[in-house]
Amino acid sequence: MRSWILCRHRLLLAGPLLLVFLLAAVFSGWLAPADPLKIHPRNILQSPSARHLLGTDQLGRDILSRLIYGSRISLSVAGAAVGIATLIGVALGLLAGYVGRWVEGLLMRFIDAFLCIPEIFVAIVIMAFFGSGFGMLVLTIGTLYFPQFARVVCSVAASVRRREFVEASTALGARGLRIVCREILPNIASVIIVQLTFTMSFAMLLEAGLSFLGLGIMPPTPSWGQMVGDLKDYVHINPLPVLFPSLTLLVAIFAINTIGDWLQDWLNPEIAG
Amino acid sequence: MVRYVFLRLWASFLTLAIVGTLVFSIIHLLPGDPVLVLLGEQGTSSPEVVAKIRKQLRLALPLGLQYYEWVRGIARLDFGVSLQNGIPVLQELRTRIPRSLELIAASLAIAVALGIPLGVLGARYSNGGLGWLSSLLAILSLSMPSFVTGVILVVTFSLEFRLFPSSGYVAPSEDLVGHLLYAILPSLTLGIGFVGVVIRMTRAGLLEVLGKGYVRTARAKGLPERSVLYHHALTNALIPVVTLIGVRAGNLLGGMVIVESLFNWPGLSSLLVRSCYDRDYPMMQGTLLAIFALFIFISLTIDLCHATLDPRLREG
Repeated sequence: MRSWILCRHRLLLAGPLLLVFLLAAVFSGWLAPADPLKIHPRNILQSPSARHLLGTDQLGRDILSRLIYGSRISLSVAGAAVGIATLIGVALGLLAGYVGRWVEGLLMRFIDAFLCIPEIFVAIVIMAFFGSGFGMLVLTIGTLYFPQFARVVCSVAASVRRREFVEASTALGARGLRIVCREILPNIASVIIVQLTFTMSFAMLLEAGLSFLGLGIMPPTPSWGQMVGDLKDYVHINPLPVLFPSLTLLVAIFAINTIGDWLQDWLNPEIAG
Repeated sequence: MVRYVFLRLWASFLTLAIVGTLVFSIIHLLPGDPVLVLLGEQGTSSPEVVAKIRKQLRLALPLGLQYYEWVRGIARLDFGVSLQNGIPVLQELRTRIPRSLELIAASLAIAVALGIPLGVLGARYSNGGLGWLSSLLAILSLSMPSFVTGVILVVTFSLEFRLFPSSGYVAPSEDLVGHLLYAILPSLTLGIGFVGVVIRMTRAGLLEVLGKGYVRTARAKGLPERSVLYHHALTNALIPVVTLIGVRAGNLLGGMVIVESLFNWPGLSSLLVRSCYDRDYPMMQGTLLAIFALFIFISLTIDLCHATLDPRLREG
């Protein structure tokens, strides 16, 4: 029993935390104690009290309610962006890894060039010029992270392609799509799951950063990064309100990263350092 | 070695050329007429104003010629003039690049000074409490968005203990001590975000090297553990750490955007954000180019350091 817990201490720590955020995102309407958009000009920047458990922001809105609604935004932006990155990245990576030769070479060079540009600068320019908003944000973040995905999938797919069971399948007469979907894909699924988890945490960080700069989710819709960005200007009046969205972000990303590490060790013990 | 340096310089130049072309094409890729987008709400302005700005942006020329003019301008270090206030872009960049470089250098120093000892602890006591603590600190650092670190540091050290100013900038020529006080919190914020990467790389590198034959030989010779660890193992384990710091320098530049905005540090990325808001195309192109050039310069420096440390690389 003790060793069972020790082996899974990261999952036991991070799993419930993540579950809390997921529940908050799904049941925001029921869980939030107040209207996240309701402004109370007489009640601004309050410290936590019985009426407002985590205090109020610069417009007197209830911070706890905004955090709960914010989890919906933060998780759905990151989730949708990761979906896009996964679809494009896995498809491209499988194609390049399976075909090999010049297709692989070309894709890898393209990706290397892409990876040397820090994402946030590209994102800033795109968001500043094409306008911010949910759809644009998801599209931008998804596009920025698919190259990393393709790279990982391609290198693993290329090594699986040379294994005996793929050769056996080829010898039995299987071709292209069947080999990719029935032989290679199931064998690299664990790598995809791990990469997916880490991309989720990158995407959340990027969304938070952009919203912090005022280029992501537009007010009054709450997102965690945007709340920190707004409240940071009021630390001199009351430093408490800004700490809550900051800590929420920290805990959420910590939970996802911890689960990613655990999945990495559990699914791919041979890669673990 | 000369051949390696030459090849590496050539590769950097090519990357810069590709990135530069991308930056040039931004103004043409963006939807709509840049001049009308620029004029925005005052779009009703007279045709003369439109024509003047078009000329200033050299938009009237054919595309090929525009590109040629742009490259020629850069070769003479002429990035154009800001559309907002008429200041030459180069002049603005010249004052801001050292400020950003200062933050990057200080935060790298902090990350290395904290990260390598913690990584060594993590590898040495990999199954004990200290190793667990080092892993926990690493994952915390990786999970902490830089503005969260920054906000926590400001609330603690600036508002609670009143040790450092919470945000702003003083030129070192005016007040050197004041300048350093202003620089401490931003550098610490950036550095803390990077420490996790350094801890993980040092730990993984050292654990790998500790399993190697020559370490066993060194131990079998009866060398004290301290000498085995620091003299034989660590020197070899640090080589990949140096490379990966170069690869991850992009993260550092990315974190800089947030840190400069949080601490009102007038560096390169706050200039980029402002010029994007203002639709100040020449300033934006110049800043983007400067940021990418900075990034390429950092990875070039790191690669050359790596080649001096590891002779195999120069020949390969």
